[in-house]
Amino acid sequence: MSHLVVRGRRINWTLVLVLGYLFYLLLGAMVFQLLEKQAEAQCRDQFQLEKLKFLQNYTCLDKQALEQFVQVILEAWEKGVNPEGNSTNPSNWDFSNSFFFAGTVVTTIGYGNLAPSTVAGQVFCVFYALFGVPLNLAFLNQLGKGLNAHLITLERWVHKPGRARVVQTLALALFLTAGTLLFLVFPPMIFSYVEGWSYGEGFYFTFITLSTIGFGDYVVGTDPNKHYISMYRSLAAIWIVFGLAWLALVFNLGADLMEKFLQLNWHKPGTAEEAITKMEDDPDQPRIHIPS
Amino acid sequence: MCRAQGEAVAGRRWRLPGTLLLLLAYVGYLLLGSAAFWALEGPASHQSAQQLLQDKWELLGNYTCLKGPALERLIQGIIKAYKSGVTLQGNSTSLGRWNFVGSFFFSVSAITTIGYGNLSPSTMSAQIFCIFFALFGIPLNLILLNRIGQLMLSGVQRCAKRLGEKLHWQEAATILTRTCALVTGLLLFLLLPPFLFSVIEGWTYEEGFYYSFITLSTIGFGDYVIGMNPDLTYPCWYKNLVSVWILFGMAWLALVINLCITLLENSSDLCQCGKKKSKELEQELMDGNKNSSPRPDDVESCSSKDTKPEDSQSEWCAQSLSETM
Repeated sequence: MSHLVVRGRRINWTLVLVLGYLFYLLLGAMVFQLLEKQAEAQCRDQFQLEKLKFLQNYTCLDKQALEQFVQVILEAWEKGVNPEGNSTNPSNWDFSNSFFFAGTVVTTIGYGNLAPSTVAGQVFCVFYALFGVPLNLAFLNQLGKGLNAHLITLERWVHKPGRARVVQTLALALFLTAGTLLFLVFPPMIFSYVEGWSYGEGFYFTFITLSTIGFGDYVVGTDPNKHYISMYRSLAAIWIVFGLAWLALVFNLGADLMEKFLQLNWHKPGTAEEAITKMEDDPDQPRIHIPS
Repeated sequence: MCRAQGEAVAGRRWRLPGTLLLLLAYVGYLLLGSAAFWALEGPASHQSAQQLLQDKWELLGNYTCLKGPALERLIQGIIKAYKSGVTLQGNSTSLGRWNFVGSFFFSVSAITTIGYGNLSPSTMSAQIFCIFFALFGIPLNLILLNRIGQLMLSGVQRCAKRLGEKLHWQEAATILTRTCALVTGLLLFLLLPPFLFSVIEGWTYEEGFYYSFITLSTIGFGDYVIGMNPDLTYPCWYKNLVSVWILFGMAWLALVINLCITLLENSSDLCQCGKKKSKELEQELMDGNKNSSPRPDDVESCSSKDTKPEDSQSEWCAQSLSETM
């Protein structure tokens, strides 16, 4: 009987969850529309104006030719060729760029400023991701375990008997602060220095990358007018890998807290998140034993 | 407490070769992939770059009043406009991309971490909102996916149980139902949707499959995105259906990928039990028998589970057991 009641409650919670999700999405859609629509309209008008001005200045050009030219540029852009500058700028698919691309595939960031255009490349990409994504997750898992081991070592330094909860919270807060500084606050400064973005843009890039959303509107090391030091992209890749492990931990913590807050204490059978949850659970085990 | 800390430290020392192996495999895999992409895409990219350059020179040759710098400036303007999501072909009467349906699709792509990037916020306030929106949306999305995956799993298990009761052969029923579920999922989420895309979007089947996979794995390059062709009129149910497909398909693919991970990790630490127990015992020895009471149950479980070869491990178990005693 109790099982039935529990089941009834669970279904209810699922419904609430779905409704909350939908509501959240609708809210987001509304706000984004509100914020972006005006800017978009402005941008569109400006572009049309620019086109007209261009036509006026260069009278030998007719409208059709210009439209055709726009089409050519867009096609080139979608294929990943940067139409600015001349042919001397390096190929998009040289080795270091391919490496960066492979990294964005397996981490599921997927900036999309580069994407395979040949059929062979696309097919390979599918199978590459099929095996690469689990491998990457396993790797991040291992890294997360390493980070947690550090957390425990840190706890030993701070530990005083009889103040387990305080220590636990303190260690967590310290861990979060250090991670935030190292992975979220400092990198935008470097990016703003090297790429010439504002700090806000750098921070936006940092977050969009580490959350693996990866819109691809800002990508490091793609400006053809800049000379980057050779280590720059490799350093960025290392930062991404460690930052991903850290942010996965934080998101997991957030999901856990949200579940606790909603008092949804069901058992998780194997799902994608459980693997990540494991690394959270491991350090919890010793903490429970603290009083003894 | 001490024991627990020591275990963690010892655990780090013990797992290091495994981590190193994984790191090597990871880097090797990345190198392999980059070499393959380099070989596959390099020539095509070179060709399209040449094509663009030729077109540009042709234009400059045909229209002699045009000058190089002016053209460059025009190109810059075009790209800037394209990046902020303006549809450039045709005239200005076409609807913008940031209408309600478009914004909704953008929200979905943000919190599922697909991030197509064909649309992205350009104003400062929208970027800041996007960060906070994703910060709370991604955990919410994870919970929901978790939930859907669970419901799917429990459905499959219930089916297996019922079938097993009918057939009086539980194992066969389980295997049968799981295979069925896998095949159905494969059909429903990966093999059939490309047909829909090829009918409505006019892609080839292969392109549709590529889009499906890139979407469901949340990579989301954004080179192919549904409902973005201004020349086509889409049925109104189309985008909603695709949103539902994304949600369920992601839960399904997460289940499958998770299965892969479990297989990968299981194969790497087969004899975890033996190692772990001996580690604990070793640590107790190092602590100088301060708080250690010998725990026969651990040792028992170790030796009973560790019936497989691994002689040195069980020897080590026995040795440390006698020393602790």
